[in-house]
Amino acid sequence: MKNLNYLLLTAFVLFFSFSVNAQTVDEIIENYIENTGGAENWAKVESVKMNITVNQMGMEIPIEQYLSPERTYSKISVQGQEIKQGVFDGETLWSTNFMSMKAEKSDQEDVQIMKDELAEFPDPFLNYKKNGFTAELMGTEVVEGSDTFKVKLTKKPMVVDGEEVPNVSIYYFDTENFVPIMMHEEVMSGPGKGMIMEAKMSDYQEVEGLYMPFSMSQGVKDQPGQPLTITSIELNIEADDSEFKFPETVTEEENN
Amino acid sequence: MLNKLSTIASGIVFLCVSLSLFSQEKKEVKLENYFGDLNARQIGPAVMSGRISDMENHPNDPMIIYAGSAGGGVWKSNNAGTTFYPIFDDHTQSIGALELDPNDPDNTIYVGTGEPWPRNSVSIGDGLYKSTDGGNNWNKIGLENSERIANIIVNPENSDEIYVAVLGALWSDNNERGVFKSTDGGETWENILFLNDSTGCADLAIDPSNPKILYASMWEFRRTAWSFNSGGENSALYKSTDGGENWFKIHKGFPEGKLGRLAIGVSKSNPNTLYTVIESEKNKDKGLYKSTDGGKNWEQKNNDFGITVRPFYFSRIVVDPKDENVVVKAGLYGSISKDGGETFENLGNMHADIHDMVFDINNSDIMYVGTDGGVYRSWNKGVTMEIVENLPLSQFYHISVDNDQPYNIYGGLQDNGSWYGPSFASGGISAKHWNAVGQGDGFRVLRHPAKNIIYSEMQGAENVWRYDVENDLVKTIQPLPVEGYEEYRFNWNTPIETSKNNSDRLYIGSQYVHRSDDTGNTWEIISPDLTTNDPAKQNQEDSGGLSMDNSGAENHTTIFTITESPLNENIIWAGTDDGNIQVTKNGGKSWKNVIGNVSGVPKNTWVYHIEASAHDENTAYVVFDGHTFGDMKAYAYKTNDLGKTWTNIIPDNDVTGFARNIQEDYENPNLLFLGTELGLYISINGGNTWSKFTKNIPPVAIHYIELQSQTNDLVMGTHGRGVIIIDDISPLREINADNLSNKLYFFEKDKFEIQEFGGFSDSFGRETQFFGANPSLSCQIQYLLPKRHTFGKMTMEIQDMDGNKITTLNPGKSKGINTVNWSYNMRTPKIAKAKTLSFGGFTSPTVPAGDYKVVIKKGRDTFEKVIYVSYKNNAKLSNEDRKFQFETIMKLFNMTEELAYMVFVIDELISNENTDYKISSKLDDLKKSLVITTGDNYVGAAKKQLREKMADLYSKVASSYDKPSSNELDNLALIEEQMNLAKKSYTKIIKKINPELMPKKTFDAFINE
Repeated sequence: MKNLNYLLLTAFVLFFSFSVNAQTVDEIIENYIENTGGAENWAKVESVKMNITVNQMGMEIPIEQYLSPERTYSKISVQGQEIKQGVFDGETLWSTNFMSMKAEKSDQEDVQIMKDELAEFPDPFLNYKKNGFTAELMGTEVVEGSDTFKVKLTKKPMVVDGEEVPNVSIYYFDTENFVPIMMHEEVMSGPGKGMIMEAKMSDYQEVEGLYMPFSMSQGVKDQPGQPLTITSIELNIEADDSEFKFPETVTEEENN
Repeated sequence: MLNKLSTIASGIVFLCVSLSLFSQEKKEVKLENYFGDLNARQIGPAVMSGRISDMENHPNDPMIIYAGSAGGGVWKSNNAGTTFYPIFDDHTQSIGALELDPNDPDNTIYVGTGEPWPRNSVSIGDGLYKSTDGGNNWNKIGLENSERIANIIVNPENSDEIYVAVLGALWSDNNERGVFKSTDGGETWENILFLNDSTGCADLAIDPSNPKILYASMWEFRRTAWSFNSGGENSALYKSTDGGENWFKIHKGFPEGKLGRLAIGVSKSNPNTLYTVIESEKNKDKGLYKSTDGGKNWEQKNNDFGITVRPFYFSRIVVDPKDENVVVKAGLYGSISKDGGETFENLGNMHADIHDMVFDINNSDIMYVGTDGGVYRSWNKGVTMEIVENLPLSQFYHISVDNDQPYNIYGGLQDNGSWYGPSFASGGISAKHWNAVGQGDGFRVLRHPAKNIIYSEMQGAENVWRYDVENDLVKTIQPLPVEGYEEYRFNWNTPIETSKNNSDRLYIGSQYVHRSDDTGNTWEIISPDLTTNDPAKQNQEDSGGLSMDNSGAENHTTIFTITESPLNENIIWAGTDDGNIQVTKNGGKSWKNVIGNVSGVPKNTWVYHIEASAHDENTAYVVFDGHTFGDMKAYAYKTNDLGKTWTNIIPDNDVTGFARNIQEDYENPNLLFLGTELGLYISINGGNTWSKFTKNIPPVAIHYIELQSQTNDLVMGTHGRGVIIIDDISPLREINADNLSNKLYFFEKDKFEIQEFGGFSDSFGRETQFFGANPSLSCQIQYLLPKRHTFGKMTMEIQDMDGNKITTLNPGKSKGINTVNWSYNMRTPKIAKAKTLSFGGFTSPTVPAGDYKVVIKKGRDTFEKVIYVSYKNNAKLSNEDRKFQFETIMKLFNMTEELAYMVFVIDELISNENTDYKISSKLDDLKKSLVITTGDNYVGAAKKQLREKMADLYSKVASSYDKPSSNELDNLALIEEQMNLAKKSYTKIIKKINPELMPKKTFDAFINE
């Protein structure tokens, strides 16, 4: 679950004239990286700001998400109020409690996981070898009727509940155009431990010459997911420090 | 000339026609890529769970427990057996053995498929599987023809060295049997102990202190449809001291003569202490034997019932890893000895038929036990047992459905009686929704077509019950022997059928067809013996081999399936387990055996199911099952002329696993569903080609299929994963090359009903119990895409007929069938900003009945479809009531948005530094009466202001099935008055403000931002 929110940026595609005969995992990833503008252009992406809409029973909830190699936040707007979730300033990870509407901190394990995840920015496949990740082609599989390459990406192990556990994501690259259309990750803690989280990607569209998925669906494998629509993506936007800062001294009076 | 020309012209026409036919054929749809959003839901039940064949625990982590089931796959627990989840759903569900690599137990897991407890109804396996990521992904690594694997052992000192006990085929000879060894982690295999084509390895153990030492029990056994034989000259216990290169028998102290199934248990704390359980010729010699010198000498210790009962079914012996004198033996109740096998006592009360058990790695008081009714935990060494409540492993033999709304599912289970439960229940379908309606093993359970009466039965029709549900009265109605007829031979799984032409009619099959037209009070035999009546297949009292086993499960030369044509009550079909298809067209006056007209099916192959067509009285489908002869091929045939001629409807052999059932669609006779031992297959071309349906249906044995005629739900009784339903299969009727040639094709269904529903559902026990998913009650908009939508924008809206947007939906993108759920909702109102959330504001109004447009934009194309929405009207409201309710809701909706804009303007003015301080202060005072400005969303909540009162009433009226009450209307009047007062004050203040300061954003812009 933790990784899934941040995978939105994992797919950029420029050209669609790929060799369908790609067999090795390196060729698949190369096609994916090189043909989407190349490592050089990828490296120019310093931050991503997305406007997302979640539609629930007629209620359209706007979410703004900001991602960079060190910092991130998500801002949910409900009835005119902005509620921040998953905010990280490089040191502190915090979210707003929906009952008290006050900020609460996450533990150090979550902080480390967030740090490691943001370090992959803008894409875990970019420099994946240099980062010490390994990729393995597990075969082909049909996803929503499309043939895909099933690629297992093993990243740096995570520490969850005091134990070091493998950090594995499985990507399903469409064999026709080499963009990932699905991703799987195992839930590593909590009551859902062992379940497989699933994200599906579609509606790839151009953003400043790069292609990114503008529609996603997230949930548990084999169950209907929660769809989200991305209404806009901006690259390399500066964000103010105050967006990330844990609101230490918020009191009732000040808030009024 | 003209003539010639016309000849040429007709030649061209002919050529064109044949070309187009050719291209049509070329365009054959490969259906499995088009199932898209068509998903099955598994509804259990887990209340009685199902048979467990093997238990395994993690060697270092006491939280991790695995259970392998007889027909429902592999389940893992991360919480010491509190809950389990499935990890093997893409593969054969009949499990023989599990093993964790002791050197890498977090990641490397082996699953041997094919249950080793070979009762009559046992399923089959298809080899050995390996996972290297804790069970997320699996690869088959060989032994494809093993059929059943009894044990897997990884050398604790070398992960590459693996030993596998292959029990092998139950119903036929095969040479993939005995002990197999791999020295390269499963890449290649060598058969290191083989005796003959009918003797397999039933148990395998390794000396934990010296992995060169192995013990293997070899078992000669064979089952036929009418008999079972346990034991023979080749059954023996072997030992190897060199990693399996050489084997020698260790029988000193064993009884003389033939042996049957032997189990082996090695003490971890003292590996020279061994236990075996021996099945032998003489009853007095049977039982538990013990060796204290690594198998050199054996001594009989115990001969109790619990130790000797049904060795083929109960053989496992487990030694407490911490105490060599504590031994547990599988059995009818399970037995535990604490004195080295001298005496035993039963394990605590739990479901009967215990197959395997493991001790917790740290605390031997904690045990996990696998039974015919799931997994049990014990905290006090097996004295008290508690069941795991979320293992939906129920093993149905049959299911049926009724026409209630929601409809119910009825079915009988292996060793778990007969039950019925709903297809929908508030909060999910759980154990409490299922009702027992029988005892023993359950098979057919049928609802009387018109009355609240349920028929059920137990094995061999020993009892057939008629249960008057309303009056809670039960009567047994099985036909009893009468003069002039031979003793009845009822199958273990006796056919009972009701009639679509006469609701009080009932059929039961022995070797005769019995008919009752008064719900079973009186019976008439309407056929001669329809079987082969082969006396060689009627010696069930001799069944069992070394241990007599006459449970009735081997009764043969019986009628197994009966069906009356829904279109003509005089046409009745009967199929027998010994290979006859009999049909009458005069209500039983005369019968014709038409099996001779079927070609391509071996003689005497079991006629497993006959389905009379709903489209044509002369049409029927027959499914044959040859697996009891070792023939695993799927057979299905169709006749259009009452059996004179037959067509093979699996001509391409594109179905894996023998077939047990077929269901014809009520609308499209070319749409067929085939239940096989390894899952569900679907054909949209009358059986020319078949596609496997795998969306949430594991490769499980599907014993029976029904199509609920009102909902078009395909309901399946599986033998290991309970009831599985594919809701509304109607889109399958329209998948064809023509419709797929469209960029987007809307399926025909366009009439939808808004259903008022409510009720309460508790959530107690949800953490640990199984809850089956409900069907969607939404408007399901379905369309077909020829290709997955991956690039470019795709949006979906509901509009009124004038093109105004009602709400936005998220379109599906799959190739094939896409289903988008619309809850008949409009958008939620825009709510005034405040310090807290207004929960009433999360309600969206339901649209009134009427016509709406579905508009999908995909790239540059726009696709539209009109749908017709009406009320199911279980609330029984008049149109006037509905209209008034909707007007009231929208009045509150609009008022809410008006207030939201008012507060927006106030906020803008207050925050504008050019606003006069006094005015600002007045505005602030006004705001405090409009919205909450303090407190939080929980117990710190402040006093409700106008926004909250308004939104609460809005939500109350909008969520109600009923028209607004007078009290609600009085409350509305009060709120309206307050709103008017607020508007007055607002206007008064605003008047004093320089219009330049007023925000530029209009009401409409504010609402639509």
